[in-house]
Amino acid sequence: MAVQVVNVRRPAATFSSAKPWLAILKGMWVSTRHFLGNLGLFLRGRQDFAIHFPEQRLVQPPALRGMPVLARMADGKERCVACGLCEWACPTSCITIYPAETADEVERYPEIFDIDMSRCMFCGLCEEACPEEAIIMSRQLEIASYTRAGSLWHKADLLVPVEQLKTRTDYIRRNYER
Amino acid sequence: MSNPAKTVRITVDNQVIEAPEGATLLQVMLDAGLDIPHYCYHPKLSIDGSCRLCQVKIDGMPKLQISCNTQVRDGMVVHVADPEVELTRRGVLELLLLNHPLDCPICDKAGECWLQNFAMRFGARHARTIEPRRKHGKRMDIGERILLDQERCILCRRCVRFCREVSKTGELFVFNHGDHSLLDIYDRRLDNDYSMNVADVCPVGALETKDFHHRMRVWFLEETASVCPSCSNGCNIMISAARGKIWRLTPRRNDEVNDTWMCDAGRLNYKFVGDAGRLVTPLVAGEGGPAPANWDDALQRAAGAIGDFVKRHGAKALGGVASPHLTNEENFRCGEMLRAVGVERIAMAVPRGKHDDFLIKAEKAANARGVRELGLVAGPDDGLEELLRACEAGEIRGLYVCGGDLLEAAPAERIDAILGKLDLLIVQDLAARPRFARAAVTLPATTFAEKDGTFTNHAGRVQRIRRALATPPGWRADGEIFTTLLNTLAARSERFEIAAVWEAMSRDGGRFAAIAFDRIGPEGAPLDAA
Repeated sequence: MAVQVVNVRRPAATFSSAKPWLAILKGMWVSTRHFLGNLGLFLRGRQDFAIHFPEQRLVQPPALRGMPVLARMADGKERCVACGLCEWACPTSCITIYPAETADEVERYPEIFDIDMSRCMFCGLCEEACPEEAIIMSRQLEIASYTRAGSLWHKADLLVPVEQLKTRTDYIRRNYER
Repeated sequence: MSNPAKTVRITVDNQVIEAPEGATLLQVMLDAGLDIPHYCYHPKLSIDGSCRLCQVKIDGMPKLQISCNTQVRDGMVVHVADPEVELTRRGVLELLLLNHPLDCPICDKAGECWLQNFAMRFGARHARTIEPRRKHGKRMDIGERILLDQERCILCRRCVRFCREVSKTGELFVFNHGDHSLLDIYDRRLDNDYSMNVADVCPVGALETKDFHHRMRVWFLEETASVCPSCSNGCNIMISAARGKIWRLTPRRNDEVNDTWMCDAGRLNYKFVGDAGRLVTPLVAGEGGPAPANWDDALQRAAGAIGDFVKRHGAKALGGVASPHLTNEENFRCGEMLRAVGVERIAMAVPRGKHDDFLIKAEKAANARGVRELGLVAGPDDGLEELLRACEAGEIRGLYVCGGDLLEAAPAERIDAILGKLDLLIVQDLAARPRFARAAVTLPATTFAEKDGTFTNHAGRVQRIRRALATPPGWRADGEIFTTLLNTLAARSERFEIAAVWEAMSRDGGRFAAIAFDRIGPEGAPLDAA
């Protein structure tokens, strides 16, 4: 099959359209806001500004890209149809899928869905490529393992109830052009 | 086509193209490298004109014309990059997509789907409909090896024409009219010997082979141009491999051999390559039966056993069985090795099966003709009966056997009795067969997908096969086995490189001498033309 180039419309960024100066101001405003807020707390007598992990945990913003997980539907099945687009999009080739057939209307499901978390670089391209909202960048960050085998996550470990991923799915629906 | 030799000049978007008079405009434009979308047109099927996608603007014509049903005429002026043509294509694609289910994620055609490709390149990219899409049969079991998805079908009727014109069985029809049209079978299932070709001609995923259904995405497949090993017709194929495994074989166009088709039996005959029962280490006879050995030891043992045998019984007592599954080069080296030892009787066992008058040939091995052309074997049964009689008479007491076909070449009792009488048996085979258990050395053979070389088909066409899969480190392919044995037994220092073997074949005379190895193109090279 011949390689085909599909030209995607990407308007060139100009100074006024990309607004780099606005981004700088935005960032500085975030820093200033935190500084002023903390200063106010300090003046009112607060001494300890650290978050005591793991007893205390931050609620991460939805833009955070943590471990990719698979959405599990109410009937306990995965949403994934093993189309292989995430596997193709993955720059580190950390995803391995073997499809299989099911009698359901969706026809296919991943018999094997493995993610090598030691190779994953949390770029989120799998999530962006997914046509089914089946692979989602969760807010899960605690994925360290003592062994390499422990870094290989199988389908059963990756399935997360879809309700728990709502913050992120709302976020990607807002932000990704589909 | 009154005078096919006459050429005409046409102008397509200011580009002047020369073509034989009466040629199809679409084919002329495609041959000139122009990117014209089309579905129903297929170079090896009749014209249908049902998809309406190849329309172009021709000066002097009142409306756009379908280029697949227009013959070129001298001075014809054609416009392709034209707003009217582009708008028409967009409209046709929108209509085709109107009811096409968007199940690309679960469709095995995705990635090589003509509807996907043309919709991305020429379509509007967005649907304007809000109505629900029509519901029809999905995953319909219409044949032994084929599934039909009526929703995906775009009614180009390529498969219908294939069944009528090529397989001449006519199982598929389009029923009803207009937007009620449906592809289906009527009175019999799609079970002909060439049925899987309908999945190739299908531009979308409406017809899929059960063998490839939900197994692997096409974009992961690496394609290697090769030749089908399953019969002596030598159909040109693509080997699609990924993750160290073959997932499917598809036909490759060669008008001299197989047009664009191949038979189902050949297409499905690739599983032996990745079979769990394949021999992966050499076996040498030990006290408790055959035991695994490393390659060097096994080859030394084989060379030593042949040397001892020749010293004790003389070279005339050793016979060889050449394999029609090995390449020309390997068989040449095999012959060199056996003759260097002094072997006089070489035979070949060719598996036979059903045949027809289209592509399927009776000899179920790719290179029987090559072995004969090399002069290794002679006679109507390739010297087999003579060899077996010599074994039974005790004239031959040792055999070097390539491949397991010998076991099926005569009644099992006869072969087993012969094998039981031998003093020396060396086998080179894909699997460790119990009937060869008396072998002093069993060397693993290499399949067509794991090596480079050439096959000679039944009509004497020499065609390249190419390596699609890697072999384990340290592996010796068949040609290297023969070369090592030749070097050890005859104190030579040859290497197994295909181009070098071809030079040796040329020096040897014979009909291969007339073909230069690097001149064997994608269509092969006929021995006769040389």
